[in-house]
Amino acid sequence: MTPQDKVDLSDLSALQLDAIIKKRKVLVVAGTGGVGKTTVSSALGIRAAISGRKVVVVTIDPAKRLATSLGLESLGLDTPQDLTDALNLHLKQQGKPLCLGQFSALIPDTKKTFESFVAALAPTAEIQEQVVRNPIYQIFAKEFAGTNEYMALKKLHALVRRAEFDLIILDTPPSRNALSFLEAPTLLSRFFEERFVRWLVVPANRILSIGMKKSLSVLEKLTGGGFMTHLVDFATTLFEVQTRFTETLSEVTELLKSEDVGFCLVSGPTPDTLSELEVFSKTLTAKEMRFDVALINRCLSYLKSQPVSPSFFASPAGQLTLQICARETQALRAFNSFASFSGVSRQTAEKRSSEKPLLLTLPELSRDVHSIEDLIHVADAFIAPSADGEISL
Amino acid sequence: MTCPSIFEILTRKIIFVTGKGGVGKTVLTEAIARGLAANRDGDEKNVLWVTIEDPAYPAGEVRALGDRLSHLNCDATQAFDEYVGMKIGIPTLAKIFTQNKLMKYLSQAAPGIHELVLLGKVWFERNHFDHVVVDMPSTGYGLAMFHSAYNFRKLFSGGPLYEDAGAMIDSFSSARESGVIIAALPEEMPLREAIELDHFLLELFPENRSAFVVNRCFPEFDLTDAELKRKSPHSEAQQPVQSPVPTSLEDYAIKRTKLEKQNLKIWAEIDLLYSSIPYLLNATLSRDSLITQLTATMETLGWFTAQTARLK
Repeated sequence: MTPQDKVDLSDLSALQLDAIIKKRKVLVVAGTGGVGKTTVSSALGIRAAISGRKVVVVTIDPAKRLATSLGLESLGLDTPQDLTDALNLHLKQQGKPLCLGQFSALIPDTKKTFESFVAALAPTAEIQEQVVRNPIYQIFAKEFAGTNEYMALKKLHALVRRAEFDLIILDTPPSRNALSFLEAPTLLSRFFEERFVRWLVVPANRILSIGMKKSLSVLEKLTGGGFMTHLVDFATTLFEVQTRFTETLSEVTELLKSEDVGFCLVSGPTPDTLSELEVFSKTLTAKEMRFDVALINRCLSYLKSQPVSPSFFASPAGQLTLQICARETQALRAFNSFASFSGVSRQTAEKRSSEKPLLLTLPELSRDVHSIEDLIHVADAFIAPSADGEISL
Repeated sequence: MTCPSIFEILTRKIIFVTGKGGVGKTVLTEAIARGLAANRDGDEKNVLWVTIEDPAYPAGEVRALGDRLSHLNCDATQAFDEYVGMKIGIPTLAKIFTQNKLMKYLSQAAPGIHELVLLGKVWFERNHFDHVVVDMPSTGYGLAMFHSAYNFRKLFSGGPLYEDAGAMIDSFSSARESGVIIAALPEEMPLREAIELDHFLLELFPENRSAFVVNRCFPEFDLTDAELKRKSPHSEAQQPVQSPVPTSLEDYAIKRTKLEKQNLKIWAEIDLLYSSIPYLLNATLSRDSLITQLTATMETLGWFTAQTARLK
């Protein structure tokens, strides 16, 4: 190993992160609710913009104060807001070099997107009207798990097509688990499964088997009749839009599989995160998608060696922080065996296995992030843990 | 309408625990169920602890965990088959129906059916237990489950599904029968989401206000010493923009305590009545002992016994 191959670990991981930011056209940021996806997405966006990329962060549900400080308080604008000037102003105040790229943010209006989606797919205004009036549609638009996810994908699709940005960072909608986002298209396509929709619609198919006759009469009994009419009605209109819907869906799925797209999973520094990482990785591999970064947010243990007043660790608060640190180090050590870790040389770092994500941490913050200034600090704080799970600034 | 106390909510038959993802609903629910089932003189309650499609547990049947505690990991497909079987009454016909491809498709793909069936199963189990404690999915999805009952009431013109959806709405609207506990952390987003959820739930069940819990509160930390030492007279003025990244564990503890107090004003300023649970953690303890610790904490807070509740 030549001396210049030896790189400081934190520099190396920063290099790797910047390589990912430079390489991809889309970064999808996934994670369970409450882990800080929006903060991470925005910080990644700022980092990318500073390094010269023209970037847009698409976020569905930001904290109100964050949205306000980003100038996005009027929700549902549905167009990218250029925040480069605001970013530069704060960079200047912090004495940092100005941003070489461009930083925008976008909050899609999911309801509007869904309606415009139906409008775009329906061949005639009458059919559109019919779809929107149907009670089943109304529930579908309001409740269907997966609609938000689908709309996020649809927005992504439109942005990629417009080719206005070098990098799109997609903060996925809040959900029960990190995988909902990936499962949504399958769920939706199941809904649009052609043979059933066709069955409900095309009268020629109504030569019924005895089993089907019996089943239908049971359904009629259970639901009181009116439901079947609505259903056939809804299916008829669905049939009209079905082909184009499926087309969009498969285009988006192809896009997510392409080299242009990478995934970042945000999770907490606790032991149960390991199984989440494993499942997420397995699912992505099965779908032929790329797991770029496993981001462990809200870490505290990098502060372990910082001086405190003598009585602090005797207090309940001090004890608690130590316990949190111990649990965290244990968890990080376990993650290291899973994620790609190569603190050896620049060369091996670049040959990093494509299936294994880069493991990075972000510190727990002492206040809620709700300003561009705060985000600039966070954008600078991505740290890789050492092999034994230690992190230091 | 003022919020009921947690103690009052826990006297009801069906208890739902919901809130933003990551606030600790799952452990809170289990601790509550165990607390309610605990042996108290002359007051024995049979409790069902319900998880909704939790991948950590096998799906389906009610299984006994102790003398008075049972667990059910509710599964929609199984609940659907069970419900149809119950309504049709003839096993062979029920089988034809549930095995039918079109019906399978409808039950899986039709929006809301999944949610309705899960909620229906929970509702039905109230007949067999003194308390049913439900680990509801987080905010949006949890709310969708309650909406599903209303949606199907609208969508169906009659029949048993229509009747049952109506009866479910009546049950969940009644403050004698059911109650919702909204859990949060002392952080901005969960606290705000809890208030929004409260509004949505009041629209659905106007006569049945939810109760509030804030979980994982950082231990009170006496800032005077540490802070006085740190604070030179000009420090604040000289540093208008401080990094949100803390500089030491002590610095973090000081700021965290302040931040939580500040955040809880979000609830305090609308006079919300709530109960606080301290941050319980010990990296060497198992999940089981965390639950035991939580149940004990709830007990000292007077969640399960009237006497302590009055003292509070």
